[in-house]
Amino acid sequence: MKIITFLSTLNRRWVYTLVWIAVIIPLLFPMSFKINTTPEVQSLYDAVENVPDSSTVLLTFDLWPNALAETEPMARTALHHLFRKNCNVVTLTTIPLGGPSVAERVTREVAALYDKKYGVDYVNLGYKPNYVSVLRGLATSIESIYPTDNSGTMLSQLPLMHTVKTYDQIAFIFIVADNGIVDNWVSIVNAQFGKKMCAAVTSVMAPKLYAYMGSGQLTGILGGMKGAAEYEQLVHKPGLATIGISIQSLVHFLIIALIGLGNLGFFLERRAKQKEARG
Amino acid sequence: MLYCFVRHLTTRLLTGLLTIVALVTITPAQICAQEAPAGFFRTDRINMLVAVIFFSIVVLIYTRWAKQGKPLFIRKINGLDAVEEAVGRATEMGKPVLFIPGLQEIDEIETIAGISILGRVAKITAQYETPLIVPVRYPMVLAAGMEVVEQAYTEAGRQDSYNKDTVRYVAGDQMAFAATVNGMMVREKPAANIFMGAFFAESLLLAETGNAVGSIQIAGTARPEQIPFFIAACDYTLMGEELYAASAYLSHEPLLLGGLKGQDLMKLVIIASIIIGIVLTLFGVQTTFTSWFHQ
Amino acid sequence: MRTTLPLILAFISGIIMVVSFFINPEQKVLGDISQELLIWASIIGGFSFLLGAVSITRVNWRSYKTRRPGWGYNLVTIVGVFMMAIPALWPTSWLPESMASLAGRNAGSVYDWFFLYLATPMSQTMFAILAFYIATAAYRAFRARSSQATLLLITASIVMLWRVPMGEALLRVIYDGLPEIINTYIMAGINMSVQRGIIIGAALGAATFSLRILLGIERTYMGKG
Repeated sequence: MKIITFLSTLNRRWVYTLVWIAVIIPLLFPMSFKINTTPEVQSLYDAVENVPDSSTVLLTFDLWPNALAETEPMARTALHHLFRKNCNVVTLTTIPLGGPSVAERVTREVAALYDKKYGVDYVNLGYKPNYVSVLRGLATSIESIYPTDNSGTMLSQLPLMHTVKTYDQIAFIFIVADNGIVDNWVSIVNAQFGKKMCAAVTSVMAPKLYAYMGSGQLTGILGGMKGAAEYEQLVHKPGLATIGISIQSLVHFLIIALIGLGNLGFFLERRAKQKEARG
Repeated sequence: MLYCFVRHLTTRLLTGLLTIVALVTITPAQICAQEAPAGFFRTDRINMLVAVIFFSIVVLIYTRWAKQGKPLFIRKINGLDAVEEAVGRATEMGKPVLFIPGLQEIDEIETIAGISILGRVAKITAQYETPLIVPVRYPMVLAAGMEVVEQAYTEAGRQDSYNKDTVRYVAGDQMAFAATVNGMMVREKPAANIFMGAFFAESLLLAETGNAVGSIQIAGTARPEQIPFFIAACDYTLMGEELYAASAYLSHEPLLLGGLKGQDLMKLVIIASIIIGIVLTLFGVQTTFTSWFHQ
Repeated sequence: MRTTLPLILAFISGIIMVVSFFINPEQKVLGDISQELLIWASIIGGFSFLLGAVSITRVNWRSYKTRRPGWGYNLVTIVGVFMMAIPALWPTSWLPESMASLAGRNAGSVYDWFFLYLATPMSQTMFAILAFYIATAAYRAFRARSSQATLLLITASIVMLWRVPMGEALLRVIYDGLPEIINTYIMAGINMSVQRGIIIGAALGAATFSLRILLGIERTYMGKG
């Protein structure tokens, strides 16, 4: 049958074209949907809300530039949330390319909206190689691992770092990551030093983190663009994630339709072969 | 042989122990100057210490049994059995084999496992005289990979066939690496792709491109989030610890097999603890056993 | 000596890190030594970047010099490496004040410009290709060949619907509490238990591997098979 041949030999370029159309349509005709908050995101929001105002929070930018579409909205919203609570923010990254630059740009942009001063209200420690050394070393002395900040200024010259010496002075750790570094934060920092933390990760990584949330090692999870959109909604700062989730919705529906189509072709082909075998 | 093993083991343990004793008892000035600590050992981590000691003893016992020649059963892992078949296919087609030992640095366990498997695969490709391409992301992995492949060719008696450009440093950035390797796959059309190690977002990029050029693909990673992509796009997938078992499975070296069996026993102990813990918790029984699993 | 010394170093440094885990951090000797080792590891890691820069230049220069197929790309690679590295490392004091912001890695520098307007879009483009690849992989691989495959594709479809607001709205039409049921029983139930199993298994495998490295049984990191 023609349809069987068409479905079984469908050129992948047609699939690519359909995906392209599914992405373009919501951009041209914006759609908005009610975004319900999942328990994991609500838990993360509550955990950050419960951090005492004016305490110091460690915000990590463990992200490569390729996943910025998912991770940057999470980092921005986290900064809005923390600065609104008057928290001091110390940022660092375990990713050499992207982490320091993104942290610098995003933090300064958001900090300017709240009149926050660098060195007093927030500090960017930047990147140091060998993340295991960094994560373990910060427990003993931040200054021994990061003698200077990302711009090369000695930590002793930054007022905020006079009071933040180890994990003991950090009330909460907010991890924004697009790779497996969350496992190391949990197994090294949470398991060994008992620091409370939450994780904002790409949607691919989120299912794994349910295990850590179930055991209480993570207080909350933001998973992908949906998690970022939910968090933006809770913090009342709608941004790129809220726009992007409508695009993602259409693509998801397309993929489900393609799965259905593929299976239709599979069953028709199998039935035709069975008919042929029966003669 | 047993004597040599015991002697080596004792030597290593003694060296370590003496080192620790030296560090602790040969008192530097800073210790004398300080107040006595509340306690030398962290008693809140005794449960971890017991687990580490038990685990180490179990692994060493099984390693010793393996060296003594005791047969140790390992279940069939289809993906690893397919490696030789994949290399054979590549030889018949006159196409190369592409091997990627993951995208992490040499200090990562998954990369070391990948390099270890590379050694076995390189030996097979040397025997079959099949070209091998190994793109790597980090220079230290390049150095380790080159040594391992060269040694494999030497052991196979094909040192003359060894090509220095077998292991290639391609790019440091994840997506640049994926783009380069995709280009390699499209141009050189390898008959077999073997992905063994740590992979991230580029896993589907690599596997789907490999599928598009018609390669047989075997993947292995301990990253649970990437396993679904490999399952969708590859012919065989090794999940989680099967990657770490691969080295022992392919070589059948007693030392490696022993470690594998020891690890399996530890898993049984954990399963038993979980079941006992569930039963005790269900009936609301609080014992020392349950408190051992609290931090 | 070439083989024995690295093994001894690996054993001693590994044992120090393991033992320091069980020692009170106020006990300064091992605490200080372990902290020193961590700093050294960080410094050595930094040197590996230098090694990387030398390697990439050498490999690409050789390909360019011998005019291997695709040598143009090798030349572009070398130019790209130095185009970003030189401005990033250039001392700001060597430039007139009006141009000082171009050097270094801060916002507004040449390095930052290349990162923001070249490296980032190119990386994101490669990542975006995944959307297309996932569609073709799903179309090709998610077939109901067996009962397990059928279960996989049904679960995948349900979770894909649950994960987006439009899909969630559709699920609520079927039953109002359906998204919460999916979250509780699939994500926080089946998924969590499976992930735990894989994490524990992988961790045990890594622990065995580490023990083998510590005892010198596994020597692959030295280039020995």
